[in-house]
Amino acid sequence: MTDVKQEEITKVIVISSDKVLPVDAAMKIYESEFPVTVKETCFGLIVTGPAEDVLMVTEEIRKLDKNHIFVKDRGFPAGDERRCRASRGGGPRPGFHFLREEVRMLPAIGAALDELEAKGPVKESPTKKDKLKVSELERIIEAELAR
Amino acid sequence: MSEETGIVKIALVSCGSEYSGVQPEFEAAAAEVNAKFVYPEIDVAGLDNIGREFGLEVASGDLRLMMARAKAVVEGTTHVDGVFITTCFRCAEGAIVRNEVRRYIHKHSNIPVISYSFTERTTAGTLLTRLEALTTVARRRHLLAREVQTGLTAGIDSGSTTTKAVVMRDNEIIGSGWVPTTKVLESAEEAYSLALKEAGVSRDEIQALGTTGYGRFLIGDHFNAQLIQEEITVNSKGAVYLADCQTGPATVIDIGGMDNKAISVDDGIPGMFTMGGICAGASGRFFEMISKRLGVDITELGALAVKGMQEKVTMNSYCIVFGIQSLVNSLAKGAVPEDVAAAACYSVVEQIFEQQLQEVDVKEPLILVGGSSLIEGVPKALGDLLKIDVLVPKSSHLIGAVGAALLASGYVEE
Amino acid sequence: MAKVFIYPVNSLILADLVERFGHKPLAVMNQVREKVTNISLDSPPVNITPEDPKVGLRYAAVEVPPGVRGRMALIGPLIEDAEAAIIVEAPPVNFGCVGCNRTNELMKYIVRSKDIPILELRYPETEENAPEFMYKIAAFLESLPREEEK
Repeated sequence: MTDVKQEEITKVIVISSDKVLPVDAAMKIYESEFPVTVKETCFGLIVTGPAEDVLMVTEEIRKLDKNHIFVKDRGFPAGDERRCRASRGGGPRPGFHFLREEVRMLPAIGAALDELEAKGPVKESPTKKDKLKVSELERIIEAELAR
Repeated sequence: MSEETGIVKIALVSCGSEYSGVQPEFEAAAAEVNAKFVYPEIDVAGLDNIGREFGLEVASGDLRLMMARAKAVVEGTTHVDGVFITTCFRCAEGAIVRNEVRRYIHKHSNIPVISYSFTERTTAGTLLTRLEALTTVARRRHLLAREVQTGLTAGIDSGSTTTKAVVMRDNEIIGSGWVPTTKVLESAEEAYSLALKEAGVSRDEIQALGTTGYGRFLIGDHFNAQLIQEEITVNSKGAVYLADCQTGPATVIDIGGMDNKAISVDDGIPGMFTMGGICAGASGRFFEMISKRLGVDITELGALAVKGMQEKVTMNSYCIVFGIQSLVNSLAKGAVPEDVAAAACYSVVEQIFEQQLQEVDVKEPLILVGGSSLIEGVPKALGDLLKIDVLVPKSSHLIGAVGAALLASGYVEE
Repeated sequence: MAKVFIYPVNSLILADLVERFGHKPLAVMNQVREKVTNISLDSPPVNITPEDPKVGLRYAAVEVPPGVRGRMALIGPLIEDAEAAIIVEAPPVNFGCVGCNRTNELMKYIVRSKDIPILELRYPETEENAPEFMYKIAAFLESLPREEEK
């Protein structure tokens, strides 16, 4: 019993794919028999386990549709009650909502990754205009008033 | 929630508490008063526009979240018994939102609210008074709605320096007693007897009794009081009752024998308050000592101060020891007692301004209560400092006892 | 491989893109993990204790609110480690560890005062802007040194 416990990590896998459903990805992990905990969510999966295993699992999942599956780290393990709505008296968890906002942008990001892969980067469009100078605004107002 | 004992659900509307290391202290304090924090459900999509909707646009997301949570509470999306609003001490953006969210909830609902600003040094002990006030307001809301004293009731305020008692009948004070606190029970007996004697009634005739102040539990048990209540709630109620401004906002400043309080009140219910309890330099004790040094009775100090000019005396410290040393030095340099008395009054109110009023905004009317309010120089100095008219209601020194007698009348059988 | 600080510090898109293009994202989640898996601490939810705002004194004085200093204790070390940074302005709903704008201002200032490559861009307001947003990030990440450091 001298095993040094490997550091456990948690990854959030967000699936924004037409080809892969969260349940497919989950099945893939179950079949792989990696010693990780998987939690299905409405966006994809949360995977907790020893660092090496989690990294390998996420790599495998990403390969299913690499430009449309996104991964980030998560501080809390899956189902941690310190962040669980039920035990914390309800209300939004900070990370969840930002994630939800970002998820809305993922189809566009995924499409851009596809395009980038196909033909390389496109040119940037011109940058935003600066604000009008106060002196310039004053001049315009005065000119208008003088009319 | 059952009226007096059940768990009170308190919405925690906060910014920064999770990142300041104080969250466990909040939870510990809540557990102590049998309360539980909940986090109101909100519509995240609405967060971007909540500032517009609220009319208060701020840059910080967590402050917008506070507004959204307040809205959820007001609209009943999340049912709660009380709201605790808290932000980081020294954050201006947070302070503005904290105060306005408190007013918003008060204006649009009947849910009690208490607010507070914390530092990383805030402990459960500090929070306890606040949460005690909040939960008692939540549990005894029907009592606090009372604006008129009915029947024959009494109130005893067992303070650190003096014990006060009043007997009231049909909305009139008919007897009062005011004695220095020596032994808590004996002093309460004495003050109560004096009040009963003046009122010409016997103890058996009293229909309900309320106790407040430091010794409230001890004397409450002893006299079998119907109501035992902390002084923030009682004094807020007592102050607006005596000053006859029971509806709308008010600010109550209570300068007691050993500490002082500033309370922001809406419709007689405390919202934000601060208490000073570390230094006695801003208390009745300071006035006692300076009166002694000037060779006058404390009842004469006020009249003396009104005639003096505080500007003529240099005070180097607010401390009860060093401050008095400054005053003594100025006497030795030829300052007249009037100026010294005025300087003492100014020193006390300046301290209240610098310490208590940092977190309590001053809404008119400003009601000054507590024994020190009787020293005329004090309301004058406070008014000069804050550029505001200070209201000292009749019987202002009996504030706690009057508040307790008023609230106790809620226990009189109709 | 460069260590890239990202702002917003918890962004999925930024963390994913940095990793996808062969670099290491320095995200707050990893800091939070260190905190919440430390069993010697019991200060839910994020295990920030009153000691953290003191650690934050390295970034701001006592007069700065404890919530700013506590957040900086979490995020400051990431900035110190950063070899590059991507800052996205005007992101949607921001709360939690990025819920305090004063912290965000201080964070970005410290990043900008470091002598490292920084990409600053706005969060795409429409889906049409998203590809360009992504290309800028991709180009920036491609420009960073890729070779393994010692």
